Amino acid sequence: MLPIARGIYSGLANITRSSRGALHTASSLRCKASETAEEKDAENAEGEAGGEENQSSSSGPDPKDRSKVIPVETSMRYLKSAAYKQTYGNDFVWTQYRRNHKGMYAPRKTRKTCIRQGRISTGNPCPICRDEYLVLDYRNTELLEQFISPHNGNVLSYSKTGLCQKSHLRLTVAVQQARDSGFLTYDVPFREYDYSEYYGQEQKKKDIN
Amino acid sequence: MHLVRQIRQLNGLQGLRHALRQVSTAPTKPATLKYERDPQPLFTDAETQKLLQSMTQLHLDRVFRKRTVPDNSSEIKFMTTEQLELEFQSMVEKAQHMLQMPPVVKIKEDVDRIIAKDPALKDFADTKFVFTDITFGRRQSERKVVVRETDGTLAYASLDTTKRMNQLYFPLDGRQSYTPRMFALEELIAKCLTEHKYEYVMDRLLVQYEPHEPEFHNISARVFEHLNESKQFDLLRSTRHFGPMAFFYAWHRCIDDLLYDMIRRDYLQNAVELIALSYKIHNVPVEYQETLAKLDALHPTPAQSALTELRSGMRQPEGQQGIEQEIHSAIGKTEKDFTADEISLQFIEQYIASEHALKKVQLELAVQTLKEVNQEKLQLFQGLKKAHGIQAS
Repeated sequence: MLPIARGIYSGLANITRSSRGALHTASSLRCKASETAEEKDAENAEGEAGGEENQSSSSGPDPKDRSKVIPVETSMRYLKSAAYKQTYGNDFVWTQYRRNHKGMYAPRKTRKTCIRQGRISTGNPCPICRDEYLVLDYRNTELLEQFISPHNGNVLSYSKTGLCQKSHLRLTVAVQQARDSGFLTYDVPFREYDYSEYYGQEQKKKDIN
Repeated sequence: MHLVRQIRQLNGLQGLRHALRQVSTAPTKPATLKYERDPQPLFTDAETQKLLQSMTQLHLDRVFRKRTVPDNSSEIKFMTTEQLELEFQSMVEKAQHMLQMPPVVKIKEDVDRIIAKDPALKDFADTKFVFTDITFGRRQSERKVVVRETDGTLAYASLDTTKRMNQLYFPLDGRQSYTPRMFALEELIAKCLTEHKYEYVMDRLLVQYEPHEPEFHNISARVFEHLNESKQFDLLRSTRHFGPMAFFYAWHRCIDDLLYDMIRRDYLQNAVELIALSYKIHNVPVEYQETLAKLDALHPTPAQSALTELRSGMRQPEGQQGIEQEIHSAIGKTEKDFTADEISLQFIEQYIASEHALKKVQLELAVQTLKEVNQEKLQLFQGLKKAHGIQAS
């Protein structure tokens, strides 16, 4: 009974939101993913809520609201889920993103921030801000790895990924922390040893003796 | 709401800092195995070095794996055969340099060395002064660092201060001025080890600590102990850490797992070398030099085998040699290898029968399987030779 109701709900939601682009289908799917993680009782309650919403499908939760803090664990689970797979496929989260700008050339810098006062304040939020389940944190290695260049190991520029300045700063901080704590590996510079520095003095001492 | 969250974040940060401070006073869990006497004379010994280098092996694609470094450019050149040969040799030399083993030394104790006591200078300043000699081109270990304490004592700085000053004036690439969280927090290093990031941990350890520091000994011993349990020795093969690892096992009499791994992977010569090393370290009266000399004559050194591997990319002149080489490449072994295997198997069995081996049953089984496989290969080898009409030389 429950799965059927949920299916109907998600179908309806898809229809009502289809004009807003593919991402919102993902967000509705994600609701499902997060539901499965919660306990049975919570699921029941949410199922009922879904049923109620069926009757008044126009007033769903505000898709631009970002005041709720998503824990990192949820984000890590989301990156492994089927909902994530369906939304992004095998691409990185930033590959499909395009910036909106007037004229031929994009402004040098991306916008300062996409989220103001707990709400998305723009029509084309950056790849991190548009998906509230992508949380930048040093433990979220799967997400951080998508922003690291395979050639030189640097964090990719925002001109390539399109992240807003605030997200980009948070990304660099998270990558540094992750490297420091050993969550992300990198190629450590080669250290050359001068053996005589460790062994030479001993021999000198022996000669004196 | 926003403000409250910020305050909470600040609180959380303070808690974290507090935890860090607590941790930094209590370093990571000490390893159980330590070098109780100075390992230096045995490690620097020419014979030991040769054994360790041979055990490390030299896989060029492992040494020159693609690294994410700022300059990753490659160059394409036209060359004559002679130039190419020279290039091959310089490549192997470079690889050997990359495999330079970090020195194994004992922990250096911190001693107070007071130069002068000047009570007249007492309370001259309320902080102590550190003087560092920053002459260009001097070695780190020779650099003099002295401290004038507030009570007027002039003394040589402690090892910790010396290291910090050295890092301040002559920074080592990749070393942090603080303890990386990976080494400071117990659960983080445990996580790295369970994920088998051994090479990364060791690389970072080399850069962060000097070989004579207690932390270096502690963490490297922990890594080696964990490796001995997880048995992923192949992850360190052909890296600069393999030699010290083998030395560590031989020193602490726990070579059996590594030995088993070597036999299973058909690195019999390495197994013999490992046994010889442990005999050498513990002064066991067994003649191993003779076996080693015989094997050396039959087997190429790692550098030589790397060179042949490089040369094999070039087109060989056609001829009678072609068929023989084809047989060798099909089976993976030559006649020399079979005789070398026999000698080394004899030596290994002798070791297993002695009282030094701890995991006898496991080792015996591995040797038995290897023997059977070898027998089959030998038969196939002889059959192929006969079919192609090549006389046994």
